[in-house]
Amino acid sequence: MARIIVVTSGKGGVGKTTSSAAIGLGLALKGHKVVLIDFDIGLRNLDLIMGCERRVVYDFVNVINGEATLNQALIKDKRVSSLSILPASQTRDKDALNKENVGKVLEDLGKIYDFIICDSPAGIEAGAMMALYYADEAIITTNPEVSSVRDSDRIIGMLASRSRRAELGLEPIKEHLLLTRYSPKRVAEGEMLSVEDVEDILSIPLLGVIPESQAVLKASNAGEPVILDTESDAGQAYQDVIDRLLGETIDFRFLVAEKKGIFSRMFGG
Amino acid sequence: MAAASIEFKGSSFTLSVLHLKTAILADVRADLAKKVAQAPDFFYLVPIVVSIDKLNDDIDYQGIKTLIEEFNFTFVGFTGAISKEQRQLIRECGFSFINMAKANSAKKAVLVEGAVAAKSKEVVATPQRDLYTDKIHRGQIRSGQQVYAKDQNLVVIGSVSAGAEVIADGNIHVYGSLRGRAIAGATGHHKAQIYCQKLEAELVSINGNYWLSESMEEHWASPVYIQLTDNELTSSKLI
Repeated sequence: MARIIVVTSGKGGVGKTTSSAAIGLGLALKGHKVVLIDFDIGLRNLDLIMGCERRVVYDFVNVINGEATLNQALIKDKRVSSLSILPASQTRDKDALNKENVGKVLEDLGKIYDFIICDSPAGIEAGAMMALYYADEAIITTNPEVSSVRDSDRIIGMLASRSRRAELGLEPIKEHLLLTRYSPKRVAEGEMLSVEDVEDILSIPLLGVIPESQAVLKASNAGEPVILDTESDAGQAYQDVIDRLLGETIDFRFLVAEKKGIFSRMFGG
Repeated sequence: MAAASIEFKGSSFTLSVLHLKTAILADVRADLAKKVAQAPDFFYLVPIVVSIDKLNDDIDYQGIKTLIEEFNFTFVGFTGAISKEQRQLIRECGFSFINMAKANSAKKAVLVEGAVAAKSKEVVATPQRDLYTDKIHRGQIRSGQQVYAKDQNLVVIGSVSAGAEVIADGNIHVYGSLRGRAIAGATGHHKAQIYCQKLEAELVSINGNYWLSESMEEHWASPVYIQLTDNELTSSKLI
């Protein structure tokens, strides 16, 4: 059985697509068969982050409408052969998806892949509901600031009431908290919510803390998911997330600001 | 100010009474051991009054007290002594003697009955919150969610997030943080109360009287209960 994982947040711009790309690629690098689905119909981004925007021929909506087969629409990643991407349509809108056909596509993908990662659009409307409906697990991507936390809280409520698992009375969706753009320095200065604050408000298990990092923007623009940048703290933090998703227990890193040594202070490093 | 540091007041309590049918301590010990073994936690440090009204003379008061404490009860005193001599003896041993309410005069019993009758009439006239059953919600109530306990008390085992709303016709109990809105006594009950382990609410309301968070500064982030006193909301610390 494939694990269907939705990456969601409620709020926009918190790092859903960045995280989807990093996690999808990270799982594939571990040898798992992974498919990444972009549910953000009309605002396609995942292809850019994955660096396959020039290879999009057919998309998710084409498959839903029977205009293309899954095999035609799936784009194989050039770096890892066990990873595929199902891009969103840029010309359509969220109404192009319906539950029945999405369910059929997920069922077909489930026969081939170990992990199906659904990159959700922002908001709590039809598009986001469609992305989370069939999920077994959810990665709630949250920035350490109050509006993002409140939107995440709202989406956690939706997971518990509007998903297929909720409707059928099955075991609830397994929730994971992913804190992104975390800056220990700003937490220490009281400008940002701490990990403990966010955990206290949302009370779901913590999957990872991704530090605020220049490497993320660089990676996005280059179309190389940040997990490939093994030198960067963000890349390493995503690597920890992968290990935790695969059942390992790993200490959380990058939670405290690095103390500057005397040399870096003297030389402005 | 010295006078305010203490105050004596009469209050009535429900205490467990252990009725002894024999003065032979070994028998009592055996039966008590059996009873306590059934629910050791339940009996642990329970205050207990020992009734000796079924016993004749030759009572080892000190022995009874020691025996009771052996089983981890908290010994309070004796009751049910009939004769003056018995009472005198109990006092001499340094124990308190407690009069049972039913030993009082018949006149008082009639009075109590009358009060009960009056109270039950009142209950018929306006169904009071005491009659409410509980609606129990397990888990956190998230932003945007609303839970309404119609004609019930609402018990939330978890927190109420900011942007969530809990409403009950009776009381509201939140075993977690109350960060959203809580509206108790929604259909008009001035006796409704709100309890929470951590008060960080956006709004609390009882019978239409409400507070915004700025009015909660005194007990902010504390375990609190809120009630209506003379049509004004008041908050008190739970612990």
